[in-house]
Amino acid sequence: MALIEVQGLVKNFPGRHGSITIMDEIGFSVADNDFLAIVGPSGSGKSTLLRLIQGLDRPNQGTILFRGRPVEGVQLDMAMVFQSFALYPWLTVKENVALGLEARGWSRERQEAQVERYVNVTGLEGFEEAYPRELSGGMRQRVGLARALAVEPAVLLMDEPFSSLDALTAEGLREEVLQLWQDPALPPEAVILVTHNIEEAVAMADRIIVLSRRPARVLAGVPVQLPRPRDRKSPAFYELTDYVYSLITEGSAPAPLPPSTA
Amino acid sequence: MRPLLRATNVPTLYPKCTPGEMLGLLVLLKDHKGSQEIAQLADDLDLEIDEILPSVEFAEGLRLVTISDGRLTFAEEGKKLVASTIRGRKLLIREALRRTPLYQTILKALEAAPERRLGEEELGRIVSFTNAPPETILNVITWGRYAELFRYDANEHVVTPLRQRPQRPAPPAPPPRGAPSTAAREPPGLSQPPKIAPA
Repeated sequence: MALIEVQGLVKNFPGRHGSITIMDEIGFSVADNDFLAIVGPSGSGKSTLLRLIQGLDRPNQGTILFRGRPVEGVQLDMAMVFQSFALYPWLTVKENVALGLEARGWSRERQEAQVERYVNVTGLEGFEEAYPRELSGGMRQRVGLARALAVEPAVLLMDEPFSSLDALTAEGLREEVLQLWQDPALPPEAVILVTHNIEEAVAMADRIIVLSRRPARVLAGVPVQLPRPRDRKSPAFYELTDYVYSLITEGSAPAPLPPSTA
Repeated sequence: MRPLLRATNVPTLYPKCTPGEMLGLLVLLKDHKGSQEIAQLADDLDLEIDEILPSVEFAEGLRLVTISDGRLTFAEEGKKLVASTIRGRKLLIREALRRTPLYQTILKALEAAPERRLGEEELGRIVSFTNAPPETILNVITWGRYAELFRYDANEHVVTPLRQRPQRPAPPAPPPRGAPSTAAREPPGLSQPPKIAPA
């Protein structure tokens, strides 16, 4: 059984001249240990898709199954990392990391131990008592990551997590997220990363779901079978990046898969 | 009393970048197998050279990399750093910062300060010895906190010594999931609790 099964999703939004369909018959599945990236042009509803999966929003048609059960309401076994970090400015780093635990009714003592663990794995020691305004963007996103991981979610949802960071910081943080992902002692069981950055998707994911322009449809599910750590200078990496790029720019006409990835 | 500054040890190195930026540069260099022209590294990220130079200079100052003919190459410490875990990197950076005159001076001043509290004014004076612009103090504080060399209270604007943490043995490193990873685990001997500068 797939961890997540997305079937026939349709999402409409009210527009000036009636309802607009932004997603049309979207379907894919996520397995245990899957690192899935969702790429597509802006406006293809990638962020909305994550919200639907977590149960923060409802589709107009279609179903999402999580461990075989329909998602109807917010899933506490999933956690989100946001592009905007979404930290509370009046709370310290520790308090921000503890937020999800508080909401899940953990005792004060268990919270403390858990916060310490995830502050530690994300490299935030030394900033426990800091407020978000004292932190650089990279450190802020580590707080977002620590907060999401602290609830030990089965599924980590990441919505353009590196897009607000400067290029150098993003480069470093991507590598750290992969380091954490490859550690079997840490959650989650699966990651869904939404990004507009194709190279980022090829560098990080096991599989890439490519969405079309609005209304978004699944153009292809592209497996990324390059060994880790991935050599971004290798011809195979270039080929695959190019392939995904041409899928998006050319819309529906799928070129044959490059031989080196088949 | 020990003099705060020795004439032969005037600090000139100061951080012009954040820890995240410098770590990003080192990871990028790792992608290039440990040696690449600085211009190419900047080009990789669609940046101008002067946008990555602050990180290049500080990494060189910490002796993590060497520069020759416009080419950046890992020094042994840099190689070790990128092969380490997130925690291991932090500990290696702590050791590297401890070797810099700037942080040596700050830690000594902190030892000698009344009530072991260093206000921003005193900290600013120490930082000014490096000829750094005044706003550098923010980066100096960030690196010191990141490397757990001292604590900082943003409400009172003071630097204080790090509280001793209870020692917690690092859990044994499990094998990485999926494809084999080259990430080495923390180097031995770096798991001790943080120590403040020797008295």
